[in-house]
Amino acid sequence: MTAASRTALTHLLVAAAALLMLPLGIRAANRLHPAASLQPSYLPALEGPRERKPFEAERVPALAALQPTWVVIGDSMAGSRIDPAVLTRLTGGVTAPLQWAGSGPAWWYLALKNWVIPSGIRPRAVLIFFRDTNLTNVLFRIDATWVLDTAARDREDDLNAAVARRRGTAFYQARDRIDRFYGAPQARRWLEPAMNEWPARLLIPYRRQRAAFMDQLNERFGLAHLRPMDAADMQATEDREADFHAFVDKSILPLMLRDARQAGLTLCLVRVQRRPIGGRPPYQSPALKRYVADLKAYVEANGGVFLDDYADPNQTLDLYEDGDHLSREGRERYTELFASRLARLFP
Amino acid sequence: MIFHSLDFLVFFLLVVAAYWGLGHRAQNVLLLAASYFFYGYVHPWFLILIATSTVIDYASARGMERRPDRRRWFMAASIVSNFGMLGFFKYFNFFVDNVHAVLAAAGADVALPTLRVLLPVGISFYTFQAMSYTVDVFRGELRARRSLLDVAVFISFFPHLVAGPIQRASFLLPQVEGERRFSIEKASSGFTLMVWGFFKKLVIADNVGVIANKVFALSDPSFDVLWAGVFAFAIQIYADFSAYTDIARGSSRWLGFELTENFDHPYLARTPADFWRRWNISLSTWFRDYVYIPLGGSRATGWLWARNVLVTFLLSGLWHGASWNYVLWGLYHGVLLVITRSHRILRPAAKPVHAWMQVPQTVGMFALTLVGWLLFRETELSAIVRDLRLVPWHSSPLDRQAGLYLFLLAFGYSIPLWVQSLWIEAHRGEPARVPPPVALAFRAIACGAAFAAILVLRSRTSLDFIYFQF
Repeated sequence: MTAASRTALTHLLVAAAALLMLPLGIRAANRLHPAASLQPSYLPALEGPRERKPFEAERVPALAALQPTWVVIGDSMAGSRIDPAVLTRLTGGVTAPLQWAGSGPAWWYLALKNWVIPSGIRPRAVLIFFRDTNLTNVLFRIDATWVLDTAARDREDDLNAAVARRRGTAFYQARDRIDRFYGAPQARRWLEPAMNEWPARLLIPYRRQRAAFMDQLNERFGLAHLRPMDAADMQATEDREADFHAFVDKSILPLMLRDARQAGLTLCLVRVQRRPIGGRPPYQSPALKRYVADLKAYVEANGGVFLDDYADPNQTLDLYEDGDHLSREGRERYTELFASRLARLFP
Repeated sequence: MIFHSLDFLVFFLLVVAAYWGLGHRAQNVLLLAASYFFYGYVHPWFLILIATSTVIDYASARGMERRPDRRRWFMAASIVSNFGMLGFFKYFNFFVDNVHAVLAAAGADVALPTLRVLLPVGISFYTFQAMSYTVDVFRGELRARRSLLDVAVFISFFPHLVAGPIQRASFLLPQVEGERRFSIEKASSGFTLMVWGFFKKLVIADNVGVIANKVFALSDPSFDVLWAGVFAFAIQIYADFSAYTDIARGSSRWLGFELTENFDHPYLARTPADFWRRWNISLSTWFRDYVYIPLGGSRATGWLWARNVLVTFLLSGLWHGASWNYVLWGLYHGVLLVITRSHRILRPAAKPVHAWMQVPQTVGMFALTLVGWLLFRETELSAIVRDLRLVPWHSSPLDRQAGLYLFLLAFGYSIPLWVQSLWIEAHRGEPARVPPPVALAFRAIACGAAFAAILVLRSRTSLDFIYFQF
């Protein structure tokens, strides 16, 4: 071995050793940021201990007191489609909305399991609005912990198991182990806010004004300011998600159908439609068509009701505000159409 | 398969481990199998295209040598098949959309078929690489290879298959054909390059990419917010693309190959010509050698020369994507080159610039580059017009603060890039004299810090490499 080769080997070994050893400093740095308020996560398959928002237990007695005929669960797809007051007026039955813009299927499942079922109510149907493959993608918006926390108990073993099955590829498992070994999740808790806030600290020295600025900034980049296509296409399904049988057992769908059945509730799953294009429904890939047929068959075989807005001639482009959200007028018209569908389905 | 996945890491370690235990021919067989596995990992049907392209180019080159009287026919076969596939998959819908728009403008609303298939990743890269082989054989600058295996490895060599750098046959083929020995020097430098590449991709590009994506999703950006987003995109595309190149070059070294450099700190360029000597060098030189020079290049004067530049840049823009904004981006850079070169022709006696003038020149060129990136990133022409009409005095105080905030955020992530570029630029021509122990310590600390940053600062939104789409 030449002297140059020996030097190169030394460089390689020292660099590799430093690569593995230096990040141990993250653990030391974490000690400077005490973790007193960290709690064990209800999703250990996904994350380590962290601060969490409290469970909103008051929702349960509120639902019990309301005794709704319809419970509407979902994200902005439900919010921009169903006007609870209009639905209540048209059907004569009280509507309870459990909606959170930016929520995902994990939150919908938890809302059903931890709020609707414990309240003991017997609505005629629990309506869940979703986009194409949302119901079999448990990871969709699962990182929106500020939403998820509101409906999650201290332990959510079934949800955690679904997440673990979905995410349990060698890649994620290995990455999680490495992350936890070095204390990276804990470091992210204090480092991410610091990384995002330093420019604001530089620009606005006062904490209250800074907090107001950050709120305004979030609002500035909210859905209302997005280009119509971006608002829709951000949520557009990808074909790799459109494999029903590959993902159903790694999702919350079986859990929702099982829990609803055991509680004697009728679960009605409503697939919304993105905006029509050129007077025609949006394009569906062959994979997505197969997926929807499989989903329908599965839901109906497990005691649920499946409604598909796709190709509904009444859902014309003028109802839409953007890609898949309806306008205020569109929402009212959709609610009217939906009320008549409910009347036919649940006479 | 993507570089920043465990799949790649396992794949790469297995390939390297098996590779050095094999003889030369078996190494090439393994490289071909590994490259095809890498390329067809998600969509195996992509392999049909690359295999077809390889066989046609191999046969065309052989044909040119065997039948010199028919070499034009063989060259035409190679051009038609390569550009036919590229045109069909990449430009068919663009063509149909434009025909439809023209017909609609003429009052004829005809329903035309569109293609609903994925654009095979990297098709533009390997098509150009394959074309360089047949063109060089056609010109008599390279002899046609007898071994289909060697040609296939040259076209599909996995480290740079999907996003370059595009290698010339005269540079890479001899490496494929020659005996390779494991070099600890190459492996050591390759390791550092790969770590730096992963850091640039996962920490810099993905984080500033989130800022750029947010800004370009706005329906009503203000001047300040928009240009902060353009700045973020400029950092993203450089960090992302150069990261791919670094990982490609680093992993190649572990296999005993050397790939050409593709970037030379382009944001420190002082003129448009300087920028194109530093940005995507492999593509720029491809267009220079196979389009610009055959058109007449700098030998032409006046309008002919300007035409050559504009045609070359127009095609370069179109290479990036089937959309008018890419054409516009290419033309914009062509016009910049023509203007600056004309200025030099008109004022040949201009004195060399003072050192202190280099800073405003660099800043000015960076600003011009940003305008180019706006054209590149905005896919709708109406949005480009709207963006270019924005003026700073119409921004609200919130938008001003938001723009500055986003700029600082993006700048913060990009500091390592700027530091590296400035260090290299400051020591250009005369390598820095750093004592070996200091160099070793610096390298070790940099590797450790890069991995620590990847652990805690990698973006939650992992984005694909931008140049995959081209």
